[in-house]
Amino acid sequence: MKNQNQKQTQKPKIISIRKSCSADGTGLSHYILMDKKAKK
Amino acid sequence: MFSTFDIKHPDYVALIEPDNAFWALVEKNSAINDKFVNAYKNKAEKFSDEMQKLRFGLALNAVYINPTSRCNLNCVYCYIPQEMRKHGDDMSRDALFEALEKLSGYFKQVMPENRLPQIIFHGAEPLLVKEVIFPAIEKFQDRFRFGVQTNGVLLDDEAIEFLTVNGVGIGLSLDAPIKQIADKTRKTWGGDSVFENTIKTIHKLKGYDGYNVITTVTKENMHCLCDMIDFFHELEIPAVMLNMVRCTLPGAREVKPDDYEVAQHFIKALDRTHELYKKTGRKIVVANFANILVSIMAPMARRLMCDISPCGGGRVFFALAPDGGMFPCSEFIGLPDFKGGNLFRDDINTVLQSESFKKVTDRKIEDIKPCDKCAIRHFCGAPCPAEAYEMNGGMNKIGAFCEFYEEQVRYAFRLIADNIVEDYLWSEWDKDTVTLFEASALNRL
Repeated sequence: MKNQNQKQTQKPKIISIRKSCSADGTGLSHYILMDKKAKK
Repeated sequence: MFSTFDIKHPDYVALIEPDNAFWALVEKNSAINDKFVNAYKNKAEKFSDEMQKLRFGLALNAVYINPTSRCNLNCVYCYIPQEMRKHGDDMSRDALFEALEKLSGYFKQVMPENRLPQIIFHGAEPLLVKEVIFPAIEKFQDRFRFGVQTNGVLLDDEAIEFLTVNGVGIGLSLDAPIKQIADKTRKTWGGDSVFENTIKTIHKLKGYDGYNVITTVTKENMHCLCDMIDFFHELEIPAVMLNMVRCTLPGAREVKPDDYEVAQHFIKALDRTHELYKKTGRKIVVANFANILVSIMAPMARRLMCDISPCGGGRVFFALAPDGGMFPCSEFIGLPDFKGGNLFRDDINTVLQSESFKKVTDRKIEDIKPCDKCAIRHFCGAPCPAEAYEMNGGMNKIGAFCEFYEEQVRYAFRLIADNIVEDYLWSEWDKDTVTLFEASALNRL
């Protein structure tokens, strides 16, 4: 059990992740674009 | 294949494939094995395809409209020439309606039906002509998502009521948590402070999801970025941007902070956001940094299009001057050589392909030295073309803050190494994403 716990907290030797989605970036640095239409 | 990038982490070093923005953090005493390399090779074409799409295949989906060239403030770093801000033109209500009709027709052709294009009223100060823009927002609210970037001076109760009821995004500007510093860069033409006014407005907007604050970072305020974060967090502002001053015009260059020094202050401010989150359970997202982090984790999910090359100027968005003049970005509005045409007279696609626009849309990081050899070139993009052109002498020159970007990317990778990325991002940032690659899924490495 102890060994298993140690394994779980061990840092991985390699970290690599890549996610994807359809691109819809719109902003420039003069304005923050919110993800959803804001409603009070 | 991979370039090594020192992230200044005790345990990990980054390996990056610069062309498709793939990366791995590898334990310093380890090496990538064949299984990993083969798994990467199986996906490499997909990664390259999505970078190609991101960089060259997106359609126009936003327009920054300057409904007036005038401004009631005289901020030292403004990218609009002083003369224009003092005596410039306004767009009439009829002209704005005509512009929005034409844009609406164009967007119907190029955007999917389930997405609304964005119109951001920008400046100069757009609320100087609120009698022009508010009726336009009412009339066209089913065809666009609207936002307003304002200095807040004219944001009275009536204006706040109108904008919040209509769900309009509101961006405010504030450069310091104390008046003496804030006033060094943002003041009226007569030299009067607007600090108290801005603070009052921020209090009035508390609780509204669609507002945020931009701080322009200069040599005047870089020392107080941590205090700024404390201040913003206390005011419960959900998202802020700590933007390096754009050095397009000479006035801005006078307040340019040292590249490396400002990076250190910026990173301390990011550390502070994390301390506050751990202490209170409430995040404050620094959106421009969050965007860098997202561009590493999921390049296609980035929101801001400044730090990718080509940038979004002239391809994903353009800026519209009061007389209908079309520019690749607001940053170019003071530079006549970059006027690509006129919305009221010219075909939009023709303008997007004009020489003036192509100077910006053809600016590729591979053509810029030393960026062509830089491992993080797709997490930076050598912004901004306007400042490269005006400050450094050409489109194929670097921007103003090379070291800042390097330090920012190193910091982002350290967060990934320490598995605390989510603490710096807006909630559900990856809601619409799928995982293409994950080292931990490759059994035991």
